[in-house]
Amino acid sequence: MTTNDEMQTALAHLRTTTRQILPLPEPAWDDFADIWQPFEATRKVVLTAEGDTERHIYFVLDGVQRAYAVGDDGRDATLVFTYPFSFSGVADSFLLQQPSRYFFETLTPSVFLRSTFRQLDEVMLKHHAVERMIRLAISHTLAGVLVRQIELQSHTAEQRFRTLLTRSPHILQLVPHKYLASYLGMDATNFSKFLGSVRV
Amino acid sequence: MYPTAQLLENLHQQTEQHLQKAVSEWQMLSPERLGQKASPEKWSVAQCLEHLNIYGRYYLPAMEQAIQKAKQRNSQATPTFRSGWLGAYFTGLMLPQTDGKLKTKMKSPKNAIPSPAPDPRAMLAEFIDQQETMLRLLREAASVNLSVIRIPISISPWIKLKLGDTFQFVVAHIQRHVVQAEQALQLDRQPTGQVFQRV
Repeated sequence: MTTNDEMQTALAHLRTTTRQILPLPEPAWDDFADIWQPFEATRKVVLTAEGDTERHIYFVLDGVQRAYAVGDDGRDATLVFTYPFSFSGVADSFLLQQPSRYFFETLTPSVFLRSTFRQLDEVMLKHHAVERMIRLAISHTLAGVLVRQIELQSHTAEQRFRTLLTRSPHILQLVPHKYLASYLGMDATNFSKFLGSVRV
Repeated sequence: MYPTAQLLENLHQQTEQHLQKAVSEWQMLSPERLGQKASPEKWSVAQCLEHLNIYGRYYLPAMEQAIQKAKQRNSQATPTFRSGWLGAYFTGLMLPQTDGKLKTKMKSPKNAIPSPAPDPRAMLAEFIDQQETMLRLLREAASVNLSVIRIPISISPWIKLKLGDTFQFVVAHIQRHVVQAEQALQLDRQPTGQVFQRV
């Protein structure tokens, strides 16, 4: 149950995050703030499955989630982890309103604000500033995806491991390590060995 | 007799606690630490986990199959659940008392005795996998009849427990050995809640 106070705190986090992307004029912020609802899910709940069209955009307040693909061999490939205070959900499926190629699930109990495509679309049509803010957010995401492409091609597994730890030092204690191994394209045994070397 | 939803919710929360401990604490310990025995006749964390994994390897697929079959037969959930006498007895045997101590010292069945030095990382990874499976099964169980579906116990195919009791017994058993694993680690807790190993 979300109290009014909790909702205000949540919206304050949302405002801080969006302000860092692009500060919104007050009327735009007010309409933008109105479209969000509290939402919770326990651990290992698939919020969006491959083939579903992503109806929602999520803003993470608590917990860790991941988007992943399942290969023909049945193995997971983790695309991205999301955690507070970032946007989440299957971004391309949401923005294009096309069937998702990926699964999106919680890896720990999670708390969100979420909205729908229709509501976001309406507020973007009404306020140019919101559309601009979303466009800039997507641009940052795109930049991150390009960086990761290069890392996957030219960094060693150890370098990628250290990069992950620099970006998210707490992630080791938050999620089962098999997901981190999957993200790094390592098998679980190699990942444990790296963990051993880093701890020293 | 209690509300089914409450029962499943409690078991879900307990399983979540077991996962939290495994993920945020045990994953951060070295394999050597996990394999350490407090004294020769006591189990290490890795041995506790192997013991639990042995039970999970039997019970989780058994419950999964039973739930799937029940769904095909259009099993319906019922609002309340009452334990059978045997299920309640087994569960009671497993649970630690309120002070956290274990009530009865029990000998494991031969085939559930852990090996002398199981691979700590592998045992922890399997334990985590099994608890995630348990969460999923608890959610799926919400839509089937926990009394009518019965699961044979691991040591005898002729003795069957209600599905609701099987969940309770298995989770209580896990709790018992999680407590034992904590004791094996003998962790000191500072007032701030930070965890240090006793040298």
